[in-house]
Amino acid sequence: MKILKYFAFPSLVHQLRTEGLSMRRRFTFYVFSIICLFAAVILILLNLFGILNPADRQIMNDLDARLTTCSERVEHDCDELAACAISFAGQLEHSIQDHLTANGKRFADLKNDPEALNALQSKLYDSVYLNMQVAPASGAFYLLNTTANSQSETTLYSGIYLKYINLCSENTVNNDFSMYRGSFSTGKEKGITFHSGWKNESSTAFFETCDTVFSDGTYFALSPVVEIPDTWERARYIYVPIRDYNDTIIGVCGFEITDLLFQLTYQATESPWGSEIYGLLNEHNGTCSGQFSSGRYNRTDSSLQLKKEKNSCLFDFGTENCVGLTSEILLGKETFTVAVMLPKAQYDRFLRKGQLHFILIFLIAAILAAICCTVLSQKYVSPILKKIEQVKARENDGRQLHIREIDDLFAFLEEKDTAYEQQLTELEQAKAFAEEEARKAKEEYEKASAKYDLAKSEIDRLAEKHKEEIVPEDYQFFVENLGTLTPAEYRVYELYLSGKTAKQIAEILHITENTLKYHNRNIYSKLGISSRKQLLRFAALKQHIDGKEDWT
Amino acid sequence: MMKKTISLITAALLSAVSLGGCTQQTMPDADHPVTLTMWHVYGSQTKSPLNDTVDIFNETIGRETGVTINVVSVTSSSAIDKALAAAAKGEPSADHLPDLFTAYPRVAEIVGTDNLLCWSDYFSEEELALYREEFLAEGRFDNDLLMLPIAKSSEALFLNRTLFDRFAADTGASTEDLATFAGFFETANLYYKWSDGLNFTQINDFYNYAYIGMKSYDSELIIQGKLNLNDPAFASIWEPLSKAAIYGGICLDDGYAASRWKTGEIISNIGSTADILYQPEMVFYPDNTTESITSAALPYPTFHTEQPAVVHRGGGLFAVKSEDDRKNYAAYIFAKWLTQPENNLPFVTSAGYLPVTDAAFSALFADTSIAEKESCRDLYDMMSHMLQSHTLHALPLYSNASQLQSRFEQNVKLVLKTTHNRYIERVSAGEDPQALLQELAAASLAELKQLSEKDM
Repeated sequence: MKILKYFAFPSLVHQLRTEGLSMRRRFTFYVFSIICLFAAVILILLNLFGILNPADRQIMNDLDARLTTCSERVEHDCDELAACAISFAGQLEHSIQDHLTANGKRFADLKNDPEALNALQSKLYDSVYLNMQVAPASGAFYLLNTTANSQSETTLYSGIYLKYINLCSENTVNNDFSMYRGSFSTGKEKGITFHSGWKNESSTAFFETCDTVFSDGTYFALSPVVEIPDTWERARYIYVPIRDYNDTIIGVCGFEITDLLFQLTYQATESPWGSEIYGLLNEHNGTCSGQFSSGRYNRTDSSLQLKKEKNSCLFDFGTENCVGLTSEILLGKETFTVAVMLPKAQYDRFLRKGQLHFILIFLIAAILAAICCTVLSQKYVSPILKKIEQVKARENDGRQLHIREIDDLFAFLEEKDTAYEQQLTELEQAKAFAEEEARKAKEEYEKASAKYDLAKSEIDRLAEKHKEEIVPEDYQFFVENLGTLTPAEYRVYELYLSGKTAKQIAEILHITENTLKYHNRNIYSKLGISSRKQLLRFAALKQHIDGKEDWT
Repeated sequence: MMKKTISLITAALLSAVSLGGCTQQTMPDADHPVTLTMWHVYGSQTKSPLNDTVDIFNETIGRETGVTINVVSVTSSSAIDKALAAAAKGEPSADHLPDLFTAYPRVAEIVGTDNLLCWSDYFSEEELALYREEFLAEGRFDNDLLMLPIAKSSEALFLNRTLFDRFAADTGASTEDLATFAGFFETANLYYKWSDGLNFTQINDFYNYAYIGMKSYDSELIIQGKLNLNDPAFASIWEPLSKAAIYGGICLDDGYAASRWKTGEIISNIGSTADILYQPEMVFYPDNTTESITSAALPYPTFHTEQPAVVHRGGGLFAVKSEDDRKNYAAYIFAKWLTQPENNLPFVTSAGYLPVTDAAFSALFADTSIAEKESCRDLYDMMSHMLQSHTLHALPLYSNASQLQSRFEQNVKLVLKTTHNRYIERVSAGEDPQALLQELAAASLAELKQLSEKDM
């Protein structure tokens, strides 16, 4: 709590400006401020030079690196698969041509001829099987623009479509496979398992768009993600055209990339931010669908809204949002979006964590600063304060602090102290002498006072005596008419009362004796008296009476 | 005082900094999510009711508790056995063991019981008391519950009703004939003759046939981990089977019965009730024409009426023990959710399985209309009767059970197929079919015993 009190900054600053602070608090305040400032500057510099990255920047940098790697890998894998597909198509074209030539048939003759188609399938089966084994795919197929039953309600395409059935790894070496599409007799002949969604022929092919897709010499095409009929799976297909000797497209062949294979190939990477999700998307007006490295997003209803922001993208899955980055790549003649993302809840959690770390670092620096202040205060300020206390209490033990300036200061203060002590002794002696003198003076005063009191009592006695001799009516007249005297006359009256002689009065007032006599006559006449002696007696009596009244 | 305060603050700081990195979460939550990979067998290639259920889990309780189940393989139980063995042995190109997988109890030995999570460490006794005891018992290994039942099945006879009716109209055959194995095999031979050489049926597991057959004769197929083929009871159940197979009424090839239904190669099969999921609705003929069909599920045929019996089959859920206890808890959260009646019933009834808790079991057979699909409702109606008349038996677990079972299947098919070819050859050469059938049936039994002894 003491520390908290120490760090009541506003009041400290106020005190610093107005009242001043104790040495310990001032010292603590400055050291604490310096350390905090230093920590803040270090944090800012680390941040500026990118050493201490905020969590969002770190995440985005990481996602950016992953995006580059992922985009390059998708392009590379797609390129590799396309090369396999082109080679596959070449083998099929050659085999079909050989078969037709050997049997004296044209391609058009195959329609509604199950036996001929079965025979062709039997010949082409090995190519399909071998190419599926070689290519990094979950299945391989070829479909020809012909059927064993053109009377069917839906348009059907003859061909072989093989699929792995227990894919649990990117590596397909040990996997069993099944016939998903193909003639029953071929399957039996080759002794392969039939897929539980098996059918003779396929109702889905890519012939509707083949002419436009491959008309400009495009090597391959990558389809959007579609649901594979009669299964729970979704897949993309990479496909190339099969041409006859006239360069007419008579079929397509290629490979299947199921969601599961995509997921196993581009497994979500565990990063410091959690599980990163990759996606290969088809984007149309901000709505995307595609394949993801996490099975959770590979759902039939998993279309998402893509909102591009300044430094990142928001992937809105409806029930969940992700944050990440995208880049566009050209596969075949279509542009695809490669996305790398993190669930938004996860992203937000790391942002909060980053902010918390930042605050924690600063808090630790502040607490360390407080500890440093306390320790420094204990080690540096306390001995000085203790020394001061000792000096104040005159209990200096003589030990030095080993701080040159402070030791010099205390030596200086000690010298001064000695000088002051000497002065004090002298002053005390002088004080004792003065006190003796005062005592003597007091005794003298008391003696004089006693004499004075004696004289005063004598005067009083005499006044009482004279009072008895004075006629009250005369004295009354005197008192009443005293105010009728002119200032000059009154001045003369006062000088008489002070005991001055006529001559002295004339000299003091710079008047002649005649003028003085003139004043005397007026005074006598106005006051009803006949002599100077009577004047003085009346005056003395008046003074006595006035004095008594004052005393009362 | 001041020194004490500083010491306390320093100690607190050091503890916070040093222990901050050491704390480990034991329960998953939304802020610390856990993803579990899963291999399962519920759905194979066509549909996957468990995948749909997993999606619901991921979107609801999984999101709340931070548990995501990532299904990376949906395959057959034999493929899972193979993949698990490869993963456990670390074979080149083998994948890592998944966090969760569904399989038969026999894989516990392959994967190693020490590597598997003991569910009873996470489920309380009260929670386990809700499950059907006979299903739980199958998953106990030395008192450790390593396999948790999530869906069980029994066996039934599935029939392509459309083609059977056509055959019955010509021959007078009836579905009532199929109530016993004797009638079933007779019908198979009749169909073979009528169809000019097509198999009538496929028995998915000869091992199950033999096991239940021996039980019906108060005997055991497996004694001390070995096949008990010298028991007279085995000869009794072998004779009708071998005669039908040698004659040609039974398909002896590997592969799925559903594929053969699709091409009309067979018109019935004995297999798991979960085969209902794969029953095709059409037959495809070589000229690419198709025919719509209807199917029927019939009770498992009996050997003799006194003691009708049938296996209850279907594996259970295993979890690979993880050092990260959050994963173990996550497995428990998912397993518990999956087996709660409200989640278990929609999953099992969409695929012909039986629920695993008493409450769900009672609810289903009190009202089979819980099942959405009509074919499944019919199946549960049939099962409701069958479960009253038949005794359910779990397959025995013993050392090397997986290999012995697999070898028995191969040997039976090999012996019967070879003998069938021999029969065709000798009949063509003019031998008496009946006498030859009797001779070859006996010879095939001897041959089977010989092969089995070699394996042991």
